[in-house]
Amino acid sequence: MRTVTLTRAMAGAALAAALALPAARAAEGLPRGEPAWLGPKPPARPARVVSLAPSLTDVVLALGQGHKLAGVTRYDTAPEVKPLPRVGGFLDPNPEAVLALRPDLVLWLADGGAWPAVQRIAELGVPVLALPVVGVPDVLRTARLVGAALGDAAAGERLAGELEGAVAAAERKAAGLPRRRVLLVIGRDPLVVAGPGSYPDALLRIAGGDNVAKSERPWPVYSLEQAVVDDPDLVIDAAVNEPPEGLAHLSAIPAVRRGRIARLPDDRVLRPGPQLPAALSQLLAAIHPEARTP
Amino acid sequence: MSLPSRRQAGRRVAVVLATGTLALAAALAVALLLGPQPVSPRAALAGLEPDRAILLGLRLPRALLGGVVGAALATAGVALQALLRNPLAEPFVLGVSGGAALGGTAMLVASSVLGPASILGGLAGSGSAVALGAAAGAAASTALVFALGRVGGRLSPESALLVGVVFNAFAAGLITVVKVLVPPEQAARLLYWLMGAVGYADAGALWAGSTLVAVAVAGLVLLSGQLNLLSLGDEEAASLGVEVGRSRGAVFLAASLATGAAVALAGMVGFVGLLVPHFLRRLFGPDHRLLVPASALFGAAFLVLADALARLAFLPLGSEPPVGALTALAGGPFFLWLLRRTERSA
Repeated sequence: MRTVTLTRAMAGAALAAALALPAARAAEGLPRGEPAWLGPKPPARPARVVSLAPSLTDVVLALGQGHKLAGVTRYDTAPEVKPLPRVGGFLDPNPEAVLALRPDLVLWLADGGAWPAVQRIAELGVPVLALPVVGVPDVLRTARLVGAALGDAAAGERLAGELEGAVAAAERKAAGLPRRRVLLVIGRDPLVVAGPGSYPDALLRIAGGDNVAKSERPWPVYSLEQAVVDDPDLVIDAAVNEPPEGLAHLSAIPAVRRGRIARLPDDRVLRPGPQLPAALSQLLAAIHPEARTP
Repeated sequence: MSLPSRRQAGRRVAVVLATGTLALAAALAVALLLGPQPVSPRAALAGLEPDRAILLGLRLPRALLGGVVGAALATAGVALQALLRNPLAEPFVLGVSGGAALGGTAMLVASSVLGPASILGGLAGSGSAVALGAAAGAAASTALVFALGRVGGRLSPESALLVGVVFNAFAAGLITVVKVLVPPEQAARLLYWLMGAVGYADAGALWAGSTLVAVAVAGLVLLSGQLNLLSLGDEEAASLGVEVGRSRGAVFLAASLATGAAVALAGMVGFVGLLVPHFLRRLFGPDHRLLVPASALFGAAFLVLADALARLAFLPLGSEPPVGALTALAGGPFFLWLLRRTERSA
C-alpha cells in the first residue's frame, strides 16, 4: 500500500533524524553553582566590559574599574553608568547589542533564562565569565574573580576583605542581642517571601534574625495562612516597588497588627554584591531597633 | 488527464514555487539586513567583526529557525483544514500545539527527575528527546481531538474544534502545575521555551528540528493529491478509491511531526497555520497540490518577517516581544472574522 509505505517511511525517517543527532542539546552545559569561563580565552587586561546584571556593575564600580564598562542592563541605576548603552535586561540580554559593543569581557550573573543568548555570545567569540551568586560566600568570591578578570587581583582581594570585615562586624554586633524570628516579604500580591537558601535568608542570619519561612525553594509563593501560623516576631517588607497601601494585605499576621513591621528603604538586601555592608546595617536596624545602630 | 492540462498544472506549480521562493528570499533579506545594529553585509562577508558575528552568527540562524517553524506550522495548518473540512482548524486552535508543549515539558521534567547528570536524564533533556516528546504529544492530542470530535460516528468539525480548545486549557493548566513543581531554574527554562519566542537555538537542535520538518513537509507534499479527495468528505473520498483511514493516519502523523518539531524549536506560536493557508487559498485556489508546497514557502516567509517585525517594532523600548505574541495579535481577530464569515455562508 502506497500510503502505508509512506507512513512507515515518515515515521522511520523522523526517528532516525531525532536519534542520529546526539549533538542536539536544548540546555546542556549551563554552569551550575560554580563560576565558569565560556567562549575564548579572555585577555589579561580587558578594556571593554559588558555587565549583564546591576550587582555585577556594582562590583566593577567598587573595584574602581568603571571606566572599562562599555554596556550595562536597562535596570542599572548607578549614576556612573548613566550614559552607557543598554544591552537589554537581566533575563533577556540582546546578543546583537552586546556584540555591537565589541566587548572583550562579558560578566554574567548565571541564570537559566538568559542561557541561550549568553551561550550564543560566547560561541561567537566573546569571553564570558559566568558567576552564580546566591549566598554571601558567592559575593566574596565574585569580588575576587571579577578583580582577577579585570587584571587587578589585588583590588578584588581588598574588596572581598572589606566585605568579609563587614560581615564579621555585623555578626559581632548581633551576638550581643536577642535573636528574633523574622518573615522577610519580597512581594505582597501574591505573597512571596525569602526562603531558605536565598540571599536575604543568609543576611538575616548574620544580622541576628531567624527566618520563619520553611520551604523547599528560595523564593516561595507563601500562603498568608502559613505566615499567620509561623507567627514571626517581626515582618520586614522588602517589596520596595509596591505601594505602601499594600501593607494592609499583611495585617492578618499578628506581628503586623502589633506594629512590628519594618519597611526597607531600597532593594539592597536583594542585590548580592558590594552593597552588602549597607544591606546588613539596614537589617540590623530593622531587627534590633532598640540597639540604635549608628 | 490530458497532456495540455498536465502541462498547465506543472506551470502553475512552477509559478507557485517561484513566488514562494521569492517571498522567502525577500523575508530573509529583511531579517538579515534590518536590526538594532547597523551592519554592512560586505564587511560581514569580508570577515570583519562585529558585522560577521551579528549577520552570520545571530541573524542568519534566527531567520532559519523562524523559517523552519513557519513552514511547519503553515503546512500542518493546511493539512488539518483539509482533514476537518474547516478553515478554522489550525495546530494551535486544535490543541495540537498544547499537546506538543505538554509532551516536551514531560521530557524536560523527566530529565530533571532522573537527574540531568545521569545517562537517562541527560538523554531525556537533550534537544532531540524534547522534540520527540513534543511530536508524540502532538500526535496524541491530534488522535484525541479526532476521536472525541466524532458525533454519531462522523467527524464533526465544530466538536473537534471545541475539544481542541478545551484540551489547550487543560494542557496549559497541567503545564502551570508542572512549573510550580520543578526547580526554579528548570521553570525559567520552561517559561522561556513556551513563550513562543524564535530565539537562539543551537545548531544541533536546529538540525534535528529541520530534518523532522523536512520529512513531514515532504510527506504532506506526496499526500497532497489525496488531501484534495479527503477534503470532499470521507464517503466521497472512499468512492474515489482513497483508503480513508490509512491516508488520514498518514496525514495525522505528518501534521503531528511538523507541529511537534515547531513547538520543540520555538514553543507556542499560534495562528500561523490559519493566516497563511487562508491567504494562499485566496491567491492560488483550493488545490492542495499547490497549497501544501506554497504553505511551506509562504509560512516560512511569514514567520521570518513577523520575527523581524517583533525585533524592530519595539526597538525604542530596548526590548522585544516573543513572535508568538505578534502572530496571536494578528491571528486572534482574524480567527473571529473567519468564524463570523463561515457562519454566514453556512
